[in-house]
Amino acid sequence: MMEWLRRPWPDHRAERTLGAVSLFVFVVVVAMAVFVATKAWPIFQHNGLSWLSGGGDLESEINRMTVATTKPAAAVYHLRAWPLIYGTLLSTAFALVLGLTIAVLASVFFVELAPVRVSRVVIPMVRLLASVPSVIYGLIGILVLVPFVGQNLITTHERESVQNVIQLTGAGLAVTVVILTIMITPIMIALICEALASVPPSWREGAVALGLNPLRAVRAVTLKAIRPAIVAAAVLATARALGEAVMIQMVSGGKSFAPKPVDGVVFFFEPLRTLASAIIDYHDGIGSPALGASVYAWALLLLFSAFALSVTGYLVKLPLRKYQTRG
Amino acid sequence: MSTYSPEAQQSGSVPGAPSGRGSSGRGRRSSPMSWRWGDRVALAAAWGAGIGLCVIAAAIVLYMGYRGIQYLRPGLIFTHPRVSESGADSGGFLDPLIGTIVLTVIGIALALPLALASAVWVAEYGRPSWLARVVESSIEIVAGTPDIVIAIFGLAIFQLSLFAPFSFTSQGGGVYGNSFIAAGAMMSLLALPPVYAATRDGLQAVPGHMREAAFALGKTRITTIRRVLLPSVRSNIATGVTLGISRIIGSTAIVLILLGATLRIETQGSVPGIDLLRGTGSSLTTYIYDNSPAGEGGAPQKAYAAAFLLLVFVLLLNLLVDRIGRAQASSTGMTPIGAVV
Amino acid sequence: MHRIRRLSVALTVAGVLGVAAPAAANATPLVTISGATSSYPLVDLLANKYVKLHPHKVRFKITQGGTTVGLANVKDGSDTIADVAQEPNGSDAGLVFYPIAKYAICVVTNKSNPVTNLTPAQVTSIFTGKTKTWSSALGGATASGPIEVFTRTSVAGVLTSFKSLLLEGKSVESAATEESTEGQLRQAVESAPDGIGFLSNYQANKGGLNAVEFNGVACDQATAASGQYQGVADFYEVTKGDATGAAASFINWIDKSPAAKKIIASQWILIG
Repeated sequence: MMEWLRRPWPDHRAERTLGAVSLFVFVVVVAMAVFVATKAWPIFQHNGLSWLSGGGDLESEINRMTVATTKPAAAVYHLRAWPLIYGTLLSTAFALVLGLTIAVLASVFFVELAPVRVSRVVIPMVRLLASVPSVIYGLIGILVLVPFVGQNLITTHERESVQNVIQLTGAGLAVTVVILTIMITPIMIALICEALASVPPSWREGAVALGLNPLRAVRAVTLKAIRPAIVAAAVLATARALGEAVMIQMVSGGKSFAPKPVDGVVFFFEPLRTLASAIIDYHDGIGSPALGASVYAWALLLLFSAFALSVTGYLVKLPLRKYQTRG
Repeated sequence: MSTYSPEAQQSGSVPGAPSGRGSSGRGRRSSPMSWRWGDRVALAAAWGAGIGLCVIAAAIVLYMGYRGIQYLRPGLIFTHPRVSESGADSGGFLDPLIGTIVLTVIGIALALPLALASAVWVAEYGRPSWLARVVESSIEIVAGTPDIVIAIFGLAIFQLSLFAPFSFTSQGGGVYGNSFIAAGAMMSLLALPPVYAATRDGLQAVPGHMREAAFALGKTRITTIRRVLLPSVRSNIATGVTLGISRIIGSTAIVLILLGATLRIETQGSVPGIDLLRGTGSSLTTYIYDNSPAGEGGAPQKAYAAAFLLLVFVLLLNLLVDRIGRAQASSTGMTPIGAVV
Repeated sequence: MHRIRRLSVALTVAGVLGVAAPAAANATPLVTISGATSSYPLVDLLANKYVKLHPHKVRFKITQGGTTVGLANVKDGSDTIADVAQEPNGSDAGLVFYPIAKYAICVVTNKSNPVTNLTPAQVTSIFTGKTKTWSSALGGATASGPIEVFTRTSVAGVLTSFKSLLLEGKSVESAATEESTEGQLRQAVESAPDGIGFLSNYQANKGGLNAVEFNGVACDQATAASGQYQGVADFYEVTKGDATGAAASFINWIDKSPAAKKIIASQWILIG
């Protein structure tokens, strides 16, 4: 047996073995979908798809699930998780819009406008920012930004205006969006800078020769040429923002509350909860049947969104193929 | 599309020497004073965004550095943590540090063979092609899955009674599901995509004549891979592994959910070595989390100290990636694989 | 050459199995405990002392999660003992409650808040959200501004006991901020000048907070032991059915041993 293993392998055996090992990843992906969906099934069984909508009081629904332990009645499974979905969408959308704008502008700055020496120093620093662990961002957020917002930016009047419904502690939408933007922008900058640098300079020079000023030339020619990279950057950043759990749990205020835009400025100070931060908050209740099924259901939703995101990114890039730059 | 109106544009904008940077024709390009108002705002915004980002990056690094130097004492690195209600005598973070190292070792040990096998198969064999696409897409899906979903999946798997030997079973039959091996196995899913991508790109970049030379000498494909190709992509593999390590040490969600959240490393069972794998503990990241106001933390100083140490590790890993990339570029003349985020 | 290698591999495997099997058979029993965050400091001290006095007899694994989580874990068998900080109620059939200590529930405010005493009616109206602002109507000097109420999440035994003992059975307003552990509630009130909350006397008397007198009675160990203070509840160790084996020895030791009584009397109140 050992001899058989030690002699040089013929190619077909090696190919089969390596192929089988490679398929292990596919098995893992399928297992991920199957296991999470199976454990989330009770929520779908008792709520259909309406658990995605709103209308109930999520906090009391979760309380009911937490105290019901074995073989809960069907009413305990009642879930309306819209505040979580809304919180996820809000924080991700704001961070993406802000981040994409800043990333495109900053990339144009680094590649086109800044002196070479500045870019050589700053681009590695931006890449470093991209690999800083999220718990460190959360630490700075909760120790520096949240007290700053709570003590300096929220006025007593604003506190009193929403006192009947919610308490403002400084941890909320504003701090969440700011830190989330700082987290996802470096990823986008790295991708967009690379793409900008790979556009043949003759394209831009042609535009300048036709009379456009350099910034216009960049906008008219280069940015359009790197649209696939911008889409890829946006997809990558959204995936990161959707899955960000620990940082958001630290700075978002931990209340399953749907911030109301009609509240004006206070909207930005209201606490929220996202799907991922809710999983962190309630993961130790995963032993109880109803709460565990809810946590798995939120994880399933995140898994599904991540998958849908990659597919969307792929589909959006398809028609842009013809604008691909060389190299 | 911008409208082309010759009268509105400055006539002095002749491009200078071509280059990949924005410095073409810098001496003679139109001055921003003559641009349209919208363009000037855009220019100011670009400068603002760039400078602003530099300032924020510098601020984060400098602030963490300042706090870290303020609070990090060498003794902390080598002292065991103690459970205590006040921050003063809660000890250091030796156990979380060891926890991070153990998780990294397990994660890379599990990810490396899997990633190498997949990359080699896809790059060198890859028949039938639909199967290769399946493997590629699977790894891409794993790369895009959020950490928290991977952690929950790990919990679902390791709480099956099939996997009871990997953690422990409490009285009453419930499988605990939290252990170093559970967390390490999920960490390997984190490290898999970077190693795979780096190895596959490296293999695809190896010029065809190296393979042909080996075949001409009568070597089989698998021997060529083992003796010729893999050694030549060593630095790519090193880059991928370093990126994987960087992802592993930064992950908090997986450790929170799958490592049992005990301050000290607590072994399980009595076979030396295996008891550590089955045991519970914490990592630097959960130590930071626990000592911040989000956890029990009366000890933000300890959190800052541990965070500074973590940041130093990440910085060193980043420098390592750059160094490997530059060494590869100079030695082989091939373009280095850029840092895949 | 190959035979030697094969032999050495076989010997190593046999050796590992030979060590592992009897070692596994002799493993010290593991008692898992989970539940209340308020009794965690006490149970942790007791467990450590027990292990020191009875080495190699038992190992403990203590986690928290809140009273309700502990009860659920004991009911479905994933933990041996639950730390519980509230009274047994109808849904706890089949569980046996062993009282180990008493604790007092204190109303706490920020250190900068000069308020010293609150009547039961005032406490109820503040926590249920009827009184919204700190003002001199609360009797004497207080902080100013809107009252920030901090409470515990629903899994907390201290919350259940607080509601029944000091809040006349009413519920805390829904706008209050919920914290998941005592430590976090303490931190929250410490950093909010207008904050108010409730903690077990161990956490409340650590310093850094203002423990308010309830109906003129101070909240500390002495008044709780003498029965003067109204808000005194029990810590229980709960098992499914009667405690057996290592768990039974531990609970017995807490009940009878002078070393355990010394630990309990240091910060908490002895039973009976």
